Amino acid sequence: MNILFEPFQLPFMARALTQLVILGALAGTVGVLVLLRRLAFVTDTLTHTVFPGVVIGYILAGDDGIFWGALVAGAVTAALLTLFARRVSEDAALAMLLTTLFAVGVALVSRRSGYAADLTAFLFGRVLTVTEEQLVQTSVVTVLVVALLAVLRRPLMLRMFDPEGARAAGVRVGLLDLVLNAAIALVVVASVRAVGTVLVIALLIVPAAAARALSDRLAVIVPLACLIGAAGGWLGLAVSYEAAVSHGLRLASGGTVVLVLVAMYVLAFAAGILRRRLARSRVSRAVSGEVEPA
Amino acid sequence: MTEETTTGQVTLEQPGRTAALVLDRACVAYGDVPALEELDGVVHPGEAVALIGPNGAGKSTLIKAILGLVPVVRGRIEVLGTTPARARREVAYVPQADTLDPDFPVSVEQVVMMGRYRKIGWLRRPSAGDRAEVAAALERVGLAGRARDRFGTLSGGQRQRVLLARAIAARPRLLLLDEPFNGVDAVSQHALLEAMAALKEQGTAVVISTHDLAIAHLACEEVCLLNRHQYGFGPTESVLTPERLRAAYGGQALELRGDRVIVTRT
Repeated sequence: MNILFEPFQLPFMARALTQLVILGALAGTVGVLVLLRRLAFVTDTLTHTVFPGVVIGYILAGDDGIFWGALVAGAVTAALLTLFARRVSEDAALAMLLTTLFAVGVALVSRRSGYAADLTAFLFGRVLTVTEEQLVQTSVVTVLVVALLAVLRRPLMLRMFDPEGARAAGVRVGLLDLVLNAAIALVVVASVRAVGTVLVIALLIVPAAAARALSDRLAVIVPLACLIGAAGGWLGLAVSYEAAVSHGLRLASGGTVVLVLVAMYVLAFAAGILRRRLARSRVSRAVSGEVEPA
Repeated sequence: MTEETTTGQVTLEQPGRTAALVLDRACVAYGDVPALEELDGVVHPGEAVALIGPNGAGKSTLIKAILGLVPVVRGRIEVLGTTPARARREVAYVPQADTLDPDFPVSVEQVVMMGRYRKIGWLRRPSAGDRAEVAAALERVGLAGRARDRFGTLSGGQRQRVLLARAIAARPRLLLLDEPFNGVDAVSQHALLEAMAALKEQGTAVVISTHDLAIAHLACEEVCLLNRHQYGFGPTESVLTPERLRAAYGGQALELRGDRVIVTRT
């Protein structure tokens, strides 16, 4: 049990933990929407297009520029994606946008001397060097995004479930889609320095998918996804610390967090199958035992 | 032009009998592509009209135009005495159940509550009154016992009934249904027809797009026969004549025994 608490008495580990718990909750909430709207590929595109923003921000203003560079790139992509989605449903266009901008980022990084180290940091993040300032940034983004989604929960629900019906009811679907794309972009931006642009997709998708396997009720799925995201961050950090300190095994913390999340998903998936089987046998018992209410 | 003044006068003299829907030489287009031309007709409160026509005739487009989602480029569509966009608050739309994701984590009750969203607003919790409306609407379609079940676990016909209950909970003055009987079993069809009849009695006007002529006879006293143009609008018997059906369906209509027409679904 000690490995869950002891490492986090070190200030840098405590900061890393705080960051991952906040991000886990944020990405968990937004991830449920990504899952239900089937926007995983759009999200993947966002993570790659934010990358050149990160690089340019870093070149212009060092570490502090990363957040703002990512923010600009994220905002632009969110707007572009919303426009795109209206025209055509185009896998190819998304893929092109994704690789092109990613290549721009790679080309820019490759001009720097510490090429490999920089690239690794941008792609996979450095959760152990998280600063107080980053924690504040992440918290602000989290509060903003979660509050916004909470206020918009009813139109969002209607739009996700029944887009035609939402339009018919006067919901501004285009605007809502922009809000969701912007929220995804903000999650990516907030996560960039801690987990990098590649691993953030796992933070968004995996906890939401695990929570979905465990429940059919949105009111349960969203908090559960937050919890799973935060727990994955905690456990992942603890495991990578323990591996390094007690076993001399270097496990990158970002990667470990993702692997822990995936392991949690596998468990949730198995539990989900069991849950559905139980529900089905309950239903069939009810049907055979009594006349179904008309 | 004369049509316009006539309807205007009717509105003035009988405010309680404002037409639910007025089509006045209405042309509807997607961008530059005309989808429907020269539609004329009036639907009064408590009446039901069936939109009949082959696939691609523009039935769904007309429904979208009545909702104000597709522009009227010439002529006029008036809904509840005002423009489609302004009337939207009092119009309910029922989509085809099988266009919705059956895996979506939402309960029957929650789906019906969506019909109350506009009255509840974004933040307020649903009141006891809202819950009562939801329960009553589910009762009306015969699914009171399924309120807590997940929407996707219901049969296609039952899902269609839930969507009708959602519309009922919104207490609309005009109800629009897009192919509500597609793939619906007999029990559900009966429940849908009964719920619609009750709504009509309360003064709700109903527009149903369907390619099932038998249903049109059962559910509606009026028919709008469409295929890009209007081939007739009026009492079912006078519009669904072999000549007009043959004209509207073109090569897709088959003749049988002289005056009866079978319309093939395409």
